[in-house]
Amino acid sequence: MTVSSQVKGCYSSIKSIEATLETLVSKTQDQEAEKTLKDVQNTMKTVKSDLEKQVLYLTKEEPQYKS
Amino acid sequence: MPGWAEILIRSIVFLTILFLITKGLGKKQMSQLDTFQYITGIVIGGIVAIHVSDVTANVAYGILALAVWFFIPFAVEFMALKSKRFRNFVQGKGTVLIQNGKIMEDNMKKERFTTDELLEELRNNNVFKASDVEFAVLEPTGQVNVLPKKENQPITPKILGQKVSPEKEPQTVIMDGKALLEPLANASLNTNWLETELDKMNVSIENVFLGQVDSDGQLTVDLYDDQLTVPEPTEKPLLLATMKKCQADLELFALATESQESKQLYQQNSERMQQAIDKITPYLQ
Repeated sequence: MTVSSQVKGCYSSIKSIEATLETLVSKTQDQEAEKTLKDVQNTMKTVKSDLEKQVLYLTKEEPQYKS
Repeated sequence: MPGWAEILIRSIVFLTILFLITKGLGKKQMSQLDTFQYITGIVIGGIVAIHVSDVTANVAYGILALAVWFFIPFAVEFMALKSKRFRNFVQGKGTVLIQNGKIMEDNMKKERFTTDELLEELRNNNVFKASDVEFAVLEPTGQVNVLPKKENQPITPKILGQKVSPEKEPQTVIMDGKALLEPLANASLNTNWLETELDKMNVSIENVFLGQVDSDGQLTVDLYDDQLTVPEPTEKPLLLATMKKCQADLELFALATESQESKQLYQQNSERMQQAIDKITPYLQ
Protein backbone atom coordinates (compact mmCIF):
# COMPACT_ATOMS: atom_id res chain seq x y z
CA MET A 1 0.00 0.00 0.00
CA THR A 2 1.40 3.34 -0.98
CA VAL A 3 0.62 6.48 0.96
CA SER A 4 -1.43 7.68 -1.94
CA SER A 5 -3.70 4.65 -1.93
CA GLN A 6 -4.11 4.83 1.85
CA VAL A 7 -5.19 8.44 1.64
CA LYS A 8 -7.52 7.53 -1.19
CA GLY A 9 -9.07 4.81 0.99
CA CYS A 10 -9.63 7.30 3.76
CA TYR A 11 -11.13 9.72 1.25
CA SER A 12 -13.69 7.18 0.09
CA SER A 13 -14.55 6.27 3.70
CA ILE A 14 -15.31 9.94 4.31
CA LYS A 15 -17.54 9.93 1.25
CA SER A 16 -19.40 6.89 2.58
CA ILE A 17 -19.82 8.59 5.97
CA GLU A 18 -21.28 11.60 4.26
CA ALA A 19 -23.77 9.48 2.34
CA THR A 20 -24.86 7.60 5.48
CA LEU A 21 -25.36 10.91 7.26
CA GLU A 22 -27.49 12.04 4.37
CA THR A 23 -29.83 9.06 4.73
CA LEU A 24 -30.00 9.57 8.51
CA VAL A 25 -30.91 13.23 8.03
CA SER A 26 -33.74 12.30 5.72
CA LYS A 27 -35.04 9.60 8.10
CA THR A 28 -34.94 11.41 11.42
CA GLN A 29 -38.10 12.99 12.79
CA ASP A 30 -36.43 15.22 15.34
CA GLN A 31 -35.45 18.81 14.57
CA GLU A 32 -32.50 18.91 16.95
CA ALA A 33 -31.08 15.61 15.73
CA GLU A 34 -31.46 16.80 12.16
CA LYS A 35 -29.52 19.99 12.94
CA THR A 36 -26.64 18.12 14.60
CA LEU A 37 -26.46 15.60 11.78
CA LYS A 38 -26.34 18.41 9.22
CA ASP A 39 -23.57 20.14 11.19
CA VAL A 40 -21.52 16.96 11.18
CA GLN A 41 -22.27 16.51 7.51
CA ASN A 42 -20.83 19.97 6.80
CA THR A 43 -17.69 19.13 8.76
CA MET A 44 -17.37 15.99 6.66
CA LYS A 45 -17.64 18.10 3.51
CA THR A 46 -14.73 20.30 4.64
CA VAL A 47 -12.61 17.28 5.51
CA LYS A 48 -13.50 15.72 2.18
CA SER A 49 -12.46 18.74 0.13
CA ASP A 50 -9.16 18.99 2.05
CA LEU A 51 -8.44 15.32 1.46
CA GLU A 52 -9.34 15.66 -2.19
CA LYS A 53 -6.63 18.28 -2.57
CA GLN A 54 -4.20 15.98 -0.80
CA VAL A 55 -5.09 13.07 -3.07
CA LEU A 56 -4.39 15.20 -6.15
CA TYR A 57 -1.13 16.40 -4.64
CA LEU A 58 0.00 12.86 -3.83
CA THR A 59 -0.82 11.60 -7.33
CA LYS A 60 1.44 14.32 -8.65
CA GLU A 61 4.19 13.33 -6.21
CA GLU A 62 3.97 9.61 -6.99
CA PRO A 63 3.01 9.53 -10.66
CA GLN A 64 4.24 5.94 -10.99
CA TYR A 65 1.36 4.78 -8.75
CA LYS A 66 -1.29 6.72 -10.59
CA SER A 67 -4.51 4.72 -10.70
CA MET B 1 -93.53 -11.92 34.63
CA PRO B 2 -91.63 -14.41 36.79
CA GLY B 3 -89.22 -12.97 39.32
CA TRP B 4 -86.09 -14.40 37.72
CA ALA B 5 -86.89 -12.83 34.35
CA GLU B 6 -87.45 -9.47 35.96
CA ILE B 7 -84.13 -9.64 37.79
CA LEU B 8 -82.46 -10.60 34.53
CA ILE B 9 -83.93 -7.62 32.69
CA ARG B 10 -83.20 -5.23 35.57
CA SER B 11 -79.61 -6.46 35.72
CA ILE B 12 -79.06 -5.79 32.06
CA VAL B 13 -80.71 -2.36 32.19
CA PHE B 14 -78.75 -1.21 35.23
CA LEU B 15 -75.53 -2.67 33.94
CA THR B 16 -75.92 -0.57 30.82
CA ILE B 17 -76.73 2.55 32.82
CA LEU B 18 -73.83 1.96 35.19
CA PHE B 19 -71.48 1.49 32.26
CA LEU B 20 -72.63 4.76 30.71
CA ILE B 21 -72.32 6.64 34.02
CA THR B 22 -68.77 5.40 34.57
CA LYS B 23 -67.88 6.42 31.03
CA GLY B 24 -69.49 9.81 31.58
CA LEU B 25 -67.61 10.49 34.80
CA GLY B 26 -64.39 9.93 32.96
CA LYS B 27 -61.15 8.09 33.31
CA LYS B 28 -60.19 9.90 36.50
CA GLN B 29 -62.69 7.84 38.41
CA MET B 30 -60.93 4.63 37.50
CA SER B 31 -57.51 5.33 38.90
CA GLN B 32 -57.74 7.67 41.84
CA LEU B 33 -60.55 8.16 44.29
CA ASP B 34 -60.79 11.40 46.22
CA THR B 35 -63.37 11.87 48.97
CA PHE B 36 -66.19 12.79 46.69
CA GLN B 37 -65.66 10.07 44.14
CA TYR B 38 -65.36 7.54 46.93
CA ILE B 39 -68.82 8.46 48.25
CA THR B 40 -70.31 8.53 44.76
CA GLY B 41 -68.90 5.13 43.97
CA ILE B 42 -70.35 3.52 47.06
CA VAL B 43 -73.79 5.09 46.69
CA ILE B 44 -74.17 4.33 43.00
CA GLY B 45 -73.20 0.73 43.71
CA GLY B 46 -75.76 0.55 46.49
CA ILE B 47 -78.56 2.00 44.39
CA VAL B 48 -77.90 -0.46 41.60
CA ALA B 49 -77.66 -3.42 43.97
CA ILE B 50 -81.03 -2.62 45.58
CA HIS B 51 -82.89 -2.12 42.34
CA VAL B 52 -81.49 -5.17 40.67
CA SER B 53 -82.19 -7.67 43.43
CA ASP B 54 -85.38 -6.23 44.91
CA VAL B 55 -88.23 -6.81 42.44
CA THR B 56 -90.62 -4.67 44.50
CA ALA B 57 -88.45 -1.56 44.09
CA ASN B 58 -89.54 0.95 41.47
CA VAL B 59 -87.17 1.03 38.52
CA ALA B 60 -88.02 4.63 37.65
CA TYR B 61 -87.01 5.76 41.15
CA GLY B 62 -83.77 3.87 40.78
CA ILE B 63 -82.96 5.57 37.52
CA LEU B 64 -83.87 8.95 39.02
CA ALA B 65 -81.53 8.35 41.96
CA LEU B 66 -78.76 7.30 39.62
CA ALA B 67 -79.28 10.43 37.53
CA VAL B 68 -78.95 12.61 40.65
CA TRP B 69 -75.80 10.81 41.72
CA PHE B 70 -74.42 11.16 38.26
CA PHE B 71 -75.12 14.86 37.83
CA ILE B 72 -74.02 16.06 41.27
CA PRO B 73 -70.46 14.66 41.01
CA PHE B 74 -70.37 15.91 37.44
CA ALA B 75 -71.31 19.43 38.56
CA VAL B 76 -68.91 19.29 41.50
CA GLU B 77 -66.05 18.27 39.24
CA PHE B 78 -66.91 21.05 36.85
CA MET B 79 -66.94 23.63 39.64
CA ALA B 80 -63.73 22.22 41.07
CA LEU B 81 -62.16 22.81 37.68
CA LYS B 82 -63.07 26.49 37.90
CA SER B 83 -62.29 27.34 41.51
CA LYS B 84 -59.23 26.43 43.51
CA ARG B 85 -60.91 27.06 46.86
CA PHE B 86 -63.84 24.84 46.00
CA ARG B 87 -61.40 22.19 44.85
CA ASN B 88 -59.53 22.31 48.13
CA PHE B 89 -62.81 21.87 49.93
CA VAL B 90 -64.23 18.90 48.01
CA GLN B 91 -61.09 17.09 46.99
CA GLY B 92 -58.94 17.92 49.99
CA LYS B 93 -55.29 18.84 50.09
CA GLY B 94 -52.27 16.66 50.49
CA THR B 95 -50.72 16.35 53.93
CA VAL B 96 -46.97 16.65 54.28
CA LEU B 97 -45.63 13.67 56.21
CA ILE B 98 -41.90 14.31 55.87
CA GLN B 99 -40.34 17.70 55.26
CA ASN B 100 -36.65 18.56 55.07
CA GLY B 101 -35.97 14.96 56.05
CA LYS B 102 -37.92 15.32 59.32
CA ILE B 103 -41.05 13.33 60.04
CA MET B 104 -44.03 15.58 60.85
CA GLU B 105 -45.55 13.76 63.82
CA ASP B 106 -48.41 16.25 64.22
CA ASN B 107 -49.54 15.85 60.63
CA MET B 108 -49.39 12.09 60.97
CA LYS B 109 -51.58 12.26 64.05
CA LYS B 110 -54.06 14.46 62.20
CA GLU B 111 -54.38 11.87 59.44
CA ARG B 112 -54.29 8.98 61.95
CA PHE B 113 -51.31 7.59 60.12
CA THR B 114 -49.26 5.11 62.16
CA THR B 115 -45.49 4.77 61.98
CA ASP B 116 -45.89 1.28 60.55
CA GLU B 117 -48.13 2.57 57.80
CA LEU B 118 -45.63 5.30 57.00
CA LEU B 119 -42.81 2.77 56.75
CA GLU B 120 -44.97 0.52 54.60
CA GLU B 121 -45.79 3.36 52.23
CA LEU B 122 -42.13 4.35 52.05
CA ARG B 123 -41.22 0.77 51.19
CA ASN B 124 -43.91 0.90 48.52
CA ASN B 125 -41.85 3.71 47.04
CA ASN B 126 -38.69 1.62 47.27
CA VAL B 127 -37.35 3.53 50.26
CA PHE B 128 -36.35 1.40 53.22
CA LYS B 129 -34.74 4.07 55.40
CA ALA B 130 -36.76 7.04 56.58
CA SER B 131 -33.58 9.11 56.67
CA ASP B 132 -33.24 8.73 52.89
CA VAL B 133 -36.36 10.82 52.36
CA GLU B 134 -36.30 14.55 51.79
CA PHE B 135 -40.03 15.07 51.34
CA ALA B 136 -43.10 12.85 51.48
CA VAL B 137 -46.72 13.81 51.04
CA LEU B 138 -49.99 11.98 51.63
CA GLU B 139 -52.19 12.75 48.66
CA PRO B 140 -55.97 13.21 48.98
CA THR B 141 -56.33 9.88 47.18
CA GLY B 142 -54.54 8.12 50.04
CA GLN B 143 -51.34 7.56 48.11
CA VAL B 144 -47.97 8.54 49.56
CA ASN B 145 -45.48 10.14 47.20
CA VAL B 146 -41.84 10.40 48.12
CA LEU B 147 -38.97 12.62 47.01
CA PRO B 148 -35.70 10.95 48.07
CA LYS B 149 -32.74 13.05 49.08
CA LYS B 150 -30.64 14.13 46.14
CA GLU B 151 -27.88 11.59 46.81
CA ASN B 152 -30.43 8.79 46.87
CA GLN B 153 -32.11 9.71 43.65
CA PRO B 154 -31.45 7.53 40.64
CA ILE B 155 -28.67 8.70 38.36
CA THR B 156 -29.88 10.49 35.27
CA PRO B 157 -27.83 11.76 32.32
CA LYS B 158 -28.48 15.26 33.64
CA ILE B 159 -26.71 14.51 36.94
CA LEU B 160 -23.79 13.02 35.02
CA GLY B 161 -23.74 16.08 32.79
CA GLN B 162 -24.08 13.86 29.74
CA LYS B 163 -25.74 14.85 26.54
CA VAL B 164 -28.31 12.44 25.18
CA SER B 165 -30.11 12.56 21.89
CA PRO B 166 -33.77 13.45 21.98
CA GLU B 167 -36.04 10.56 21.15
CA LYS B 168 -39.63 10.69 20.07
CA GLU B 169 -42.16 7.94 20.67
CA PRO B 170 -41.73 4.87 18.45
CA GLN B 171 -44.47 3.92 16.03
CA THR B 172 -45.84 0.40 15.89
CA VAL B 173 -46.00 -0.32 12.18
CA ILE B 174 -46.55 -4.09 12.08
CA MET B 175 -48.95 -6.00 14.27
CA ASP B 176 -49.80 -9.70 13.91
CA GLY B 177 -48.23 -9.87 10.46
CA LYS B 178 -50.11 -6.91 9.06
CA ALA B 179 -48.75 -3.46 8.21
CA LEU B 180 -50.54 -0.60 9.95
CA LEU B 181 -50.93 2.30 7.57
CA GLU B 182 -51.71 5.13 9.98
CA PRO B 183 -48.61 4.78 12.20
CA LEU B 184 -46.52 4.41 9.05
CA ALA B 185 -47.87 7.71 7.79
CA ASN B 186 -47.17 9.29 11.19
CA ALA B 187 -43.53 8.33 10.80
CA SER B 188 -43.71 9.72 7.23
CA LEU B 189 -42.89 6.31 5.76
CA ASN B 190 -44.75 4.03 3.40
CA THR B 191 -45.28 0.36 2.67
CA ASN B 192 -42.55 0.33 0.03
CA TRP B 193 -40.03 1.40 2.64
CA LEU B 194 -41.32 -1.30 4.98
CA GLU B 195 -40.94 -3.97 2.32
CA THR B 196 -37.38 -2.86 1.58
CA GLU B 197 -36.40 -2.92 5.25
CA LEU B 198 -37.95 -6.37 5.73
CA ASP B 199 -36.13 -7.59 2.62
CA LYS B 200 -32.88 -6.33 4.11
CA MET B 201 -33.58 -8.38 7.24
CA ASN B 202 -34.59 -11.28 5.06
CA VAL B 203 -37.99 -11.84 6.72
CA SER B 204 -41.49 -11.82 5.27
CA ILE B 205 -44.18 -9.65 6.79
CA GLU B 206 -46.42 -12.66 7.61
CA ASN B 207 -43.77 -13.88 10.01
CA VAL B 208 -43.57 -10.60 11.93
CA PHE B 209 -45.51 -10.50 15.19
CA LEU B 210 -44.60 -6.94 16.10
CA GLY B 211 -42.57 -4.29 14.30
CA GLN B 212 -41.70 -0.83 15.58
CA VAL B 213 -39.96 2.13 14.06
CA ASP B 214 -38.09 4.64 16.22
CA SER B 215 -37.82 8.34 15.49
CA ASP B 216 -34.57 7.78 13.58
CA GLY B 217 -36.31 5.42 11.17
CA GLN B 218 -34.77 2.20 12.53
CA LEU B 219 -37.02 -0.83 12.27
CA THR B 220 -36.98 -3.48 14.99
CA VAL B 221 -39.11 -6.62 14.69
CA ASP B 222 -40.19 -9.60 16.74
CA LEU B 223 -40.94 -12.76 14.79
CA TYR B 224 -43.45 -15.54 15.40
CA ASP B 225 -40.66 -18.01 14.90
CA ASP B 226 -38.33 -17.40 17.84
CA GLN B 227 -35.71 -19.75 16.40
CA LEU B 228 -34.84 -17.24 13.71
CA THR B 229 -32.45 -14.47 14.63
CA VAL B 230 -33.04 -11.01 13.32
CA PRO B 231 -30.00 -8.89 12.56
CA GLU B 232 -29.61 -5.90 14.84
CA PRO B 233 -29.65 -2.52 13.16
CA THR B 234 -26.01 -1.89 12.18
CA GLU B 235 -26.17 1.38 10.29
CA LYS B 236 -25.42 3.71 13.21
CA PRO B 237 -22.70 1.69 14.99
CA LEU B 238 -21.07 1.17 11.61
CA LEU B 239 -21.11 4.87 10.87
CA LEU B 240 -19.52 5.69 14.22
CA ALA B 241 -16.86 3.01 13.72
CA THR B 242 -16.04 4.32 10.24
CA MET B 243 -15.73 7.85 11.56
CA LYS B 244 -13.39 6.70 14.32
CA LYS B 245 -11.31 4.77 11.81
CA CYS B 246 -10.98 7.78 9.52
CA GLN B 247 -9.94 9.95 12.44
CA ALA B 248 -7.27 7.44 13.44
CA ASP B 249 -6.08 7.17 9.81
CA LEU B 250 -5.68 10.93 9.54
CA GLU B 251 -3.67 10.98 12.74
CA LEU B 252 -1.47 8.22 11.35
CA PHE B 253 -0.91 10.12 8.09
CA ALA B 254 0.04 13.20 10.11
CA LEU B 255 2.69 11.19 11.93
CA ALA B 256 3.98 9.47 8.80
CA THR B 257 4.38 12.42 6.47
CA GLU B 258 7.52 14.49 6.30
CA SER B 259 6.06 17.47 4.52
CA GLN B 260 5.16 20.16 7.09
CA GLU B 261 2.27 21.37 4.97
CA SER B 262 0.65 17.95 4.64
CA LYS B 263 1.24 17.26 8.32
CA GLN B 264 -0.67 20.37 9.25
CA LEU B 265 -3.52 19.53 6.91
CA TYR B 266 -3.87 16.01 8.31
CA GLN B 267 -3.73 17.24 11.88
CA GLN B 268 -6.33 19.91 11.30
CA ASN B 269 -8.72 17.46 9.70
CA SER B 270 -8.13 14.84 12.34
CA GLU B 271 -9.18 17.42 14.94
CA ARG B 272 -12.24 18.25 12.91
CA MET B 273 -13.15 14.56 12.77
CA GLN B 274 -12.69 14.25 16.53
CA GLN B 275 -15.05 17.17 17.13
CA ALA B 276 -17.59 15.69 14.74
CA ILE B 277 -17.38 12.33 16.53
CA ASP B 278 -17.90 13.96 19.92
CA LYS B 279 -20.89 15.80 18.59
CA ILE B 280 -22.59 12.87 16.92
CA THR B 281 -21.88 10.10 19.45
CA PRO B 282 -25.04 10.68 21.56
CA TYR B 283 -27.14 10.33 18.43
CA LEU B 284 -25.55 7.09 17.32
CA GLN B 285 -25.95 5.19 20.57
